[in-house]
Amino acid sequence: MSHRLLYAALLLAVAKSVYAATPAMLTYDTRPHGTVEVPLILRTYLPDPGLDDTVMVHHGRGEKTSEYSPEKGEDIPGEVVPLKGVPAAIAVNHGPELSYVFDTTEGRLLYAWQGGFLDMFPYWGEKDMGTRLYDYVPRLVGILFYQAAGRHPLEIDGRSVSEAGAPRFLGYDLVGNQPTFIVRYGRHTVRTRVRPLPGQQRALRIEFSVEPAARLSFRTENTSFALKKEDGVMGTLALTLAGPSLGSYEGYSRKVTITEASVAAGEQFARNYACAVCHSTDGSMGHGPTWAGLFGRERVLADGTKTIADDAYILEAIKNPDARIVQGFAPSFMPPYSQLGELEYESLLLYIKSLRAGQ
Amino acid sequence: MNLRSCILVSVLLAPLASLLPAAPLAEAYKVDDIAFPAEVAAEVGGIAFDAKGLLYVALRRGDVLTAKPVADPSKYAWRFFATGFDNALGLAVPEPGRIFVAHMPELTEAVDTDGDGIADRYRNKADGWGLSGNYHETIGMSSDGEGGYYIGLGTASHRSPTFVHTRGKYSPVGRRGRNYSAVEYRGWVMHLKADGEIEPFASGFRVTNGLLRDDEGNLWSSDNQGDWKAVTPFYHVEKGNFYGHPSSLVWDPKWPADRDPLAAYRADLDTYNQDRTYAAVEIPHLEMVRSGSEPVQIPRGGEFGPFGGQILLPDASGTRIARIMVEKVDGAYQGAVTLFINGQGLRISNNRLAFAPDGRTLYVGQTSRGWGASKGPNTEGLQRITWRGGVPFTVQQMNITPRGFRLTFTDRVSPGALQATGYAVESMTYQSKWIYGGEPLDVRTETVAAVTLIDDRTVEIAIDGFRPQRVYHLRLDGTVKSASGESAELPDFYYTANRLPAVR
Repeated sequence: MSHRLLYAALLLAVAKSVYAATPAMLTYDTRPHGTVEVPLILRTYLPDPGLDDTVMVHHGRGEKTSEYSPEKGEDIPGEVVPLKGVPAAIAVNHGPELSYVFDTTEGRLLYAWQGGFLDMFPYWGEKDMGTRLYDYVPRLVGILFYQAAGRHPLEIDGRSVSEAGAPRFLGYDLVGNQPTFIVRYGRHTVRTRVRPLPGQQRALRIEFSVEPAARLSFRTENTSFALKKEDGVMGTLALTLAGPSLGSYEGYSRKVTITEASVAAGEQFARNYACAVCHSTDGSMGHGPTWAGLFGRERVLADGTKTIADDAYILEAIKNPDARIVQGFAPSFMPPYSQLGELEYESLLLYIKSLRAGQ
Repeated sequence: MNLRSCILVSVLLAPLASLLPAAPLAEAYKVDDIAFPAEVAAEVGGIAFDAKGLLYVALRRGDVLTAKPVADPSKYAWRFFATGFDNALGLAVPEPGRIFVAHMPELTEAVDTDGDGIADRYRNKADGWGLSGNYHETIGMSSDGEGGYYIGLGTASHRSPTFVHTRGKYSPVGRRGRNYSAVEYRGWVMHLKADGEIEPFASGFRVTNGLLRDDEGNLWSSDNQGDWKAVTPFYHVEKGNFYGHPSSLVWDPKWPADRDPLAAYRADLDTYNQDRTYAAVEIPHLEMVRSGSEPVQIPRGGEFGPFGGQILLPDASGTRIARIMVEKVDGAYQGAVTLFINGQGLRISNNRLAFAPDGRTLYVGQTSRGWGASKGPNTEGLQRITWRGGVPFTVQQMNITPRGFRLTFTDRVSPGALQATGYAVESMTYQSKWIYGGEPLDVRTETVAAVTLIDDRTVEIAIDGFRPQRVYHLRLDGTVKSASGESAELPDFYYTANRLPAVR
């Protein structure tokens, strides 16, 4: 299949997942994603952006170990160091609006980010490659804005659920495609739902309910985010969490094997980075501005000023998208792609320039 | 089964077999590629059918899809049923719309409660094992026939580390070695009972990527050639036994806490050999099956040809499926392996097998991502093998006798089959240890002293100085023919003679 056909298939898959109410099938696309209406639930080993032992209290602790010689059957000089990663959690993506990780072992929301989901390339590889890289842990894509710290923030009748011993993950229900996680802490069963807040930056809504009914409260020493509690009936609790940028992630950095920039290579890179999830190439609306006819066009920015989409503008938009936001589009959605090689930037630029309006 | 009843069965079967036309393998068994939607990553981790004949397929990235089997293999209309499984490698459908999926962290029940064809209730039915973060910690599953499941937990590979934060307790001693058991019950088969209780069942496995409970209630497990597995073993799994990979013993309460099982057995292979339960069938990895995956039992009603009740074992690193014939000798199972199919368009990474409800079609699921050396676009997917009614000439059943073997062929044999020169036999032993795999040891060329015709389809071969605790390789040469002149296309048979039957 040619790149163009692959690209068309990808666009079709994107269109399907945006407009259809049923989940799309997972494909060779290493940047899978869901939507607000139909979130994608992915279970896989997950990245650990820096969770500490005060959060991972119910996990074991992997240790350094000696190198081992399979031939000798003995240890040999050298050390093997454990990797960072979360073994048994669930990742959920609502499209660019929200991604989060709910852990089945700690029974809590571990972290949340916006503007992308996971780059599965280190584990899934490419279609014709079929291999596994060394660490097989996907990479984050987007802007991290919430990360758990300290004991579990949920309290039942004034006592932290952390005091109830190891939580027991019971499963989840999908209601209108939206997952509600069910965890037992001691004698209480808590249902947790995490939702995006469309239009709001670096924010989510989290809802709890408990059986048997008890007073729920939320207490945390974590001061990095703003918390807004909502009034609810006995046994329920809803909050809005809004946080600062805790880090920006671009996925897995791939080796570039091309020796000169080209439109075809740019198209390939656009596919690798799943740009089409937000940027259409046919002029249709998306989470980001369309690329069709973009080059050379006048742009009206959020502050009302105008500029021309020349080479410098497009490169800046890739490397530092928040520098200049086009009117009608949200800031902080697109992660900065500031670590690509020069040939990748040049190729992407050539590709974007090749896309004329109405194509 | 005593000699008389053997003969009786043979006599009864003979007319039946003679009704079926002889056919070369490629005509008797047809392999078709089943298409998936474009771009769907067809990495097949589980195949099952519901009572209505709907096919469910679990793919390793997380989706479970369904399709109604149709005649044209390119026209299966796949539908999404469920998603959210981490390396789904076990699948069962107790009733339409309700599935059990064994995946790395969990055994999950997924149910379509509103009848719209999509699962909406996911329940954690079991997660009583650790997960270290190593890629090699795969899972296998089989029904226990009583509403519960057996679950096989693969060990980790030394080529990759664990995570800093593991699910479950971490053992520094279990972490040692080539394939290791750093977290609970890696290298064990677990039993999840219908009431939800889970118990460690048997230890000493390297990769239990496939379990089978047969129609007589026996549990079988394949494993992969590697450290502490000289060749690919096929085990009859019984509660409390240790099957030879030491790392798992760190989770056995009877094993002394201060003792490193790897070091202890490395230093004392005699004790190791006394403590372990040997394979019922040793399967040479180059000649037969390199990476044993999910075994399946052939339906007994003749729907798939003349091998009813025998076991098929696919190779996850080869274009082949082996056929295993077991029998109970002196109270323990042992038996023979031969190739059932080799090539014929079969892909290279055969991971899962399941028979369609009609018993006539065998579904084969392939995946290699992250495991095999095989690369390229056509190593993964779903195929089906359909029996078209012909019977290839081969040994239908190989049994041990006090002096050698009884060979029951699929068809009447020609007089040439009574020549001892038609049967080349050598024997060997294997010693599992810490190194990866093992060469055949003490290889001997055996002398076939006599060939005796038992009935028109059955011969017995007597071997000079026949002795137990050896693997016998029998090769039929082209002079062993059917009455109509066919010879066996896949002429190699390996019998693991752990024990010899008593002379009656």
